[in-house]
Amino acid sequence: MSHHDVSYLEPKGSFWQTVWSWVYTIDHKKIGVMYLTAVLLAFLLGGLFALAVRAELFTPYQTIVTETGETITKGEALRFIADRWVENGSTLTVNNVYNRFFTAHGAIMVFLFIIPAVPAALGNFFLPIMLGAKDVAFPRLNLMSWYIYVFGSLLAVYSLVNGGVETGWTFYTPYSTTTNWGSTTAMLLSAFILGFSSIFTGMNFIATVHKLRVPGMGWFDMPLFVWAIYATAIIQVLATPVLGITLLMLVFERTFQIGIFDPALGGDPVLYQHFFWFYSHPAVYIMILPGFGIASELLAVHCHKKIFGYRAIAFSSIAIAAISFIVWAHHMFTAQSVALNAIFSALTFLVAIPTAIKVFNWIATMYKASISINTPMMYAMYFLFCFTIGGLTGPPLATLASDIHLHDTYFVVAHFHYVMMGGTVLAFIGGLHHWWPKMFGKMYWEPGAQLAGILVFVGFNVTFFTQFFLGTRGMPRRYATYIEELTTLHQISTIGSWILALGLFLHLFVFIHSLAAGKPAPKNPWGGLTFEWETESPPVEHNFPHEPVIVHGPYDYESVVPPHCDPAEYPVARPPAGGANGTNGTNGTNGTHHA
Amino acid sequence: MMLLEPISTLLATTSNPIKRAWDHLWFYGNTDASNFAAGSDAVFFFIFWVSAFFFVLLMVLMVIFAIKYRRVPGKSAPVSASHNTPLEIFWSVVPTILLAVMFFWGLIEYLPTRVAPGDAEEIQVVASQWRWDWVYDNGASPLNTEVIANMESPIFALPVNKPVKFVLSSLDVIHSFYIPGFRIKRDVMPNMYTQLWAEPTQVSHSWNEDTEEWQVVPEMARGDFDGFYLACTEYCGDQHSQMWGRVMVLSQGDYERWKTQQADTSGIPLVQLGGDLHKAKGCVACHSVDGSRGTGPTWQGIWGKTHTYVGGGSGIVDENYIRESILEPAANIVEGYPNQMVSYQGQLTDRELYAIVKYIQSLSDNAEDVAAAEAESEAEMAAKQEAAESEGGADGDAAGGGE
Amino acid sequence: MTSVTTTNGDAGANGRELEPHEAYVPGAHWRNAHDEAEAAKLGMWLFLGTEILLFSGFFCAYAVFRMWYPENWHDASRYYLSWKIGFANTCVLLLSSYTVVLAIRAAQQNKKNWILIHLLITNLCALFFLVVKIGWEYIPKIQKGELPGGLFTYYNPQGEFDHIFLSIYWISTATHGFHVLVGIFVISWAMWLAAKGHYGPKHYTSLENVGLYWHIVDIIWIFLFPLLYLV
Repeated sequence: MSHHDVSYLEPKGSFWQTVWSWVYTIDHKKIGVMYLTAVLLAFLLGGLFALAVRAELFTPYQTIVTETGETITKGEALRFIADRWVENGSTLTVNNVYNRFFTAHGAIMVFLFIIPAVPAALGNFFLPIMLGAKDVAFPRLNLMSWYIYVFGSLLAVYSLVNGGVETGWTFYTPYSTTTNWGSTTAMLLSAFILGFSSIFTGMNFIATVHKLRVPGMGWFDMPLFVWAIYATAIIQVLATPVLGITLLMLVFERTFQIGIFDPALGGDPVLYQHFFWFYSHPAVYIMILPGFGIASELLAVHCHKKIFGYRAIAFSSIAIAAISFIVWAHHMFTAQSVALNAIFSALTFLVAIPTAIKVFNWIATMYKASISINTPMMYAMYFLFCFTIGGLTGPPLATLASDIHLHDTYFVVAHFHYVMMGGTVLAFIGGLHHWWPKMFGKMYWEPGAQLAGILVFVGFNVTFFTQFFLGTRGMPRRYATYIEELTTLHQISTIGSWILALGLFLHLFVFIHSLAAGKPAPKNPWGGLTFEWETESPPVEHNFPHEPVIVHGPYDYESVVPPHCDPAEYPVARPPAGGANGTNGTNGTNGTHHA
Repeated sequence: MMLLEPISTLLATTSNPIKRAWDHLWFYGNTDASNFAAGSDAVFFFIFWVSAFFFVLLMVLMVIFAIKYRRVPGKSAPVSASHNTPLEIFWSVVPTILLAVMFFWGLIEYLPTRVAPGDAEEIQVVASQWRWDWVYDNGASPLNTEVIANMESPIFALPVNKPVKFVLSSLDVIHSFYIPGFRIKRDVMPNMYTQLWAEPTQVSHSWNEDTEEWQVVPEMARGDFDGFYLACTEYCGDQHSQMWGRVMVLSQGDYERWKTQQADTSGIPLVQLGGDLHKAKGCVACHSVDGSRGTGPTWQGIWGKTHTYVGGGSGIVDENYIRESILEPAANIVEGYPNQMVSYQGQLTDRELYAIVKYIQSLSDNAEDVAAAEAESEAEMAAKQEAAESEGGADGDAAGGGE
Repeated sequence: MTSVTTTNGDAGANGRELEPHEAYVPGAHWRNAHDEAEAAKLGMWLFLGTEILLFSGFFCAYAVFRMWYPENWHDASRYYLSWKIGFANTCVLLLSSYTVVLAIRAAQQNKKNWILIHLLITNLCALFFLVVKIGWEYIPKIQKGELPGGLFTYYNPQGEFDHIFLSIYWISTATHGFHVLVGIFVISWAMWLAAKGHYGPKHYTSLENVGLYWHIVDIIWIFLFPLLYLV
């Protein structure tokens, strides 16, 4: 059959037939690529808003009297937009434009980009392949998830074009139920709809992991990326419905004034915060767990060494997923009772333990390894650097005495950007380089990618490390201006954002260059052992020419020569007793199976 | 990064500029402005140094491994353990112990912040979009303002070494009461009272008899009182970022003097009082007096204008319209502006209301109106003076309201 | 949701034209029909979990406000809601849950007509439920102004927070009613498949999933009924 040896990227007949073969595809790889395109567009859009926000913060507002006696206000970078933005019959204030921009940045990055980024794009593409499956369990549902995502995203864009939202992405009541600026309801519905996409993707992955592993593959033979996506999927399925109902109640609140969250009608705004964070705190782990999965893959493959503490890493993902459901109220330390605060502070510290274990395991994996220094490995180390900072700045926020001061300041902003961007996004970019040759069959320009990576790393740290200082000095979040003493630090942060943007655009250029003029990729450019490196680059239509057979664990580098690799280049430290080709695992390896 | 701090800050202050710059980066270098600051910061720095130790350890190992174990093509990594139970137990237990210390220490420092001592002086704090109002036990509300981040912000005073309890409430959405220097923060809710307390420990201002002004004390002059301000930390809309207040900590004698000064507005001429209230009561957040655009209409030249209202109808801006707009803001909204303002019912005396009316009149484009407002203001003061003299200056000031 | 039903029209061993359910081939990415059916059921259970979590939002809100305003809650429930109407609807839904089980049983026994009859009864019950709900509750309530929150205009409130009780009543029963409406559509879809012979002893996954969905709709009502009507 032809589809056994034709790349999934191969055009189908005429141009329009090819287009049709994409928009109506149920192939998880094509859906993954479509997701990738969509989330990268969302990342670009959200990033532009971030740059605008940082531009506004370059200088605080200052009123200056000129020599001619005229008073002018300086430091309003968004004044140009405010003066041209008419709503309710008059132009907006600069504050209001700023508020819409930071809300747009947050909402787009959270709902449109970072939640679907790794699971729906890379996860969709690689989860079935890593399990040796031909597709996800429910391919049509998968396509439907993508269309729901696109529809939800278009609704978000509609909301932005229609005035945007100025409530912050957390939509705290009663502000969000009473404000009559912008198009808040459209954004709420958009997030509600995007939630369905996330739920369906999660359901699909859980069923796939349970039912579509290649025969003989036990739970502990799965790559750690699969474990991470699996843990993520559990959270997606369990937490997102609560967000759905919360946002729906907000929509009802805005349209029918149901009063459940509105104090003017006897409702309780803190109830909303509980509802919201019951989802949105686990959602943080929807965002970061896939990043952990990528980091494990990058480190194992590019260290050419069995990952240290496989089970500890796998179980810690599940533990984090479980604990993530019982820590939500640490977002309200300044709003609730002492008893609740004490309980949730203690529970929050529990998350730190499995997270610390993961980091130790990753560093231990590098010990006595054989480390290739390339873009994915450099990103793995950037990830370790930034995520460790992000993780270690968690305890001051979980500790009651220090959180009271740091809550809702730039310390929190810096902390979650170190986790979300320094963790997930850096891992995502690293994973994208790692799997790019497999996805598109083209190599990328390595020096360009490395340079871009350095710019991203430096820019990111310059942007966000300064914000820790700002936070301890009491710079509150969501401020369009600030006291003049903080100008220097804010300017360093803004300059960092430009370096970061430069690096990201260079990455974009490298990817486009690769698609246009990249060298053809070999089947296994990095010497990886998981199933995706056994098939063609790019994979054939049903992933494998023949159903793969599991003969070794995912990280048995010491005893197995990677598929399609020269044994002279990748010798094994412990040749298997039985044969020279290294397809049989030996003692002491994880979950080895014999063909 | 510390090199980019203003050089003057480095040199002006201490014999060890590096230490000084480092301290200044965190918390402005002042970790002792209230009874809670030292404890909170001690916990923070404990966590900081534990974290710094682990971070440096991990990163040094990572870099050493990355250099030492670089891949050589044709060579494999030697066989090494893929797990090590004692090591894994060790690195699970040690962080757990440290985290437990952080939690308990944090809890111990936190608990006292939620129970105010019985003798604490109570101050009512009312938050609304976008201003703070404090009502002291003698009925005083601050009248003076200072520009913070381009916004006229009220100046509040607190007594040193005396516990103060803040009882917080909001007139509209959720706000959050935050004085960074004191390390205190609490959400301000629209549907219930919340409270917090603190005991300031450093005097920041004192009364200068010569200039008759409140001045920064010399020890604070280098900028150590940078954290002595009140900010809103729960996002509350358009001017969330300009909802400030300056906090002065005064000696107890000065504090009583200040409260008495602020409590009595009857000696201030109407137009001037209106101007003070415009800034101190937060009108300035939405209504400019120089014609620039804000959340609400500018007051410059508004007197006597005819406005079209949202939902039809129109009217002239006169005394009655201004009174109505302050007490019942939603009744007639000027076209093109949101229905945003909360009612000031019960927060202003009649004379204060009238002072605002006269102030707006004095901002008219019409010279006659301006003159009339000024004349009335002066006449009222003159009449008071006369009454006071005829009564032997007994209690001429007592009739604060009701003109 | 996964039953890719390909009718290949092959003649069976005895020369008879095979029914679609007999000729069923699993999707191309499945190793066998058993795995496919298991996965579909697993997916359905996960979906049902999300449904329960969705409604748990209403239940939490309900619990909080009932705790705050217990007496008002009691009075409002007695005053605005008739337990008789609620009880009638409960009985109807219980009956429909039973008939949907019988439909699955009929599929296992290869009795095509009985599948259709039981599903039809189920659907009629669902329709009855909606007609009662809308005709005897929603319309009179709208006319009298017994509406949620800020829309509440009823002339004789029983307490200060009637409107919150009615808010929770409206949003939870309306969301449930929407699920019943969806149920009518999916049961009709199952009837269409049954009529075309897609269900038989070896293949009735989607029918089973429709049944599961219908059970969860019923169970949610079983909770809503006492909480709202029998306070």
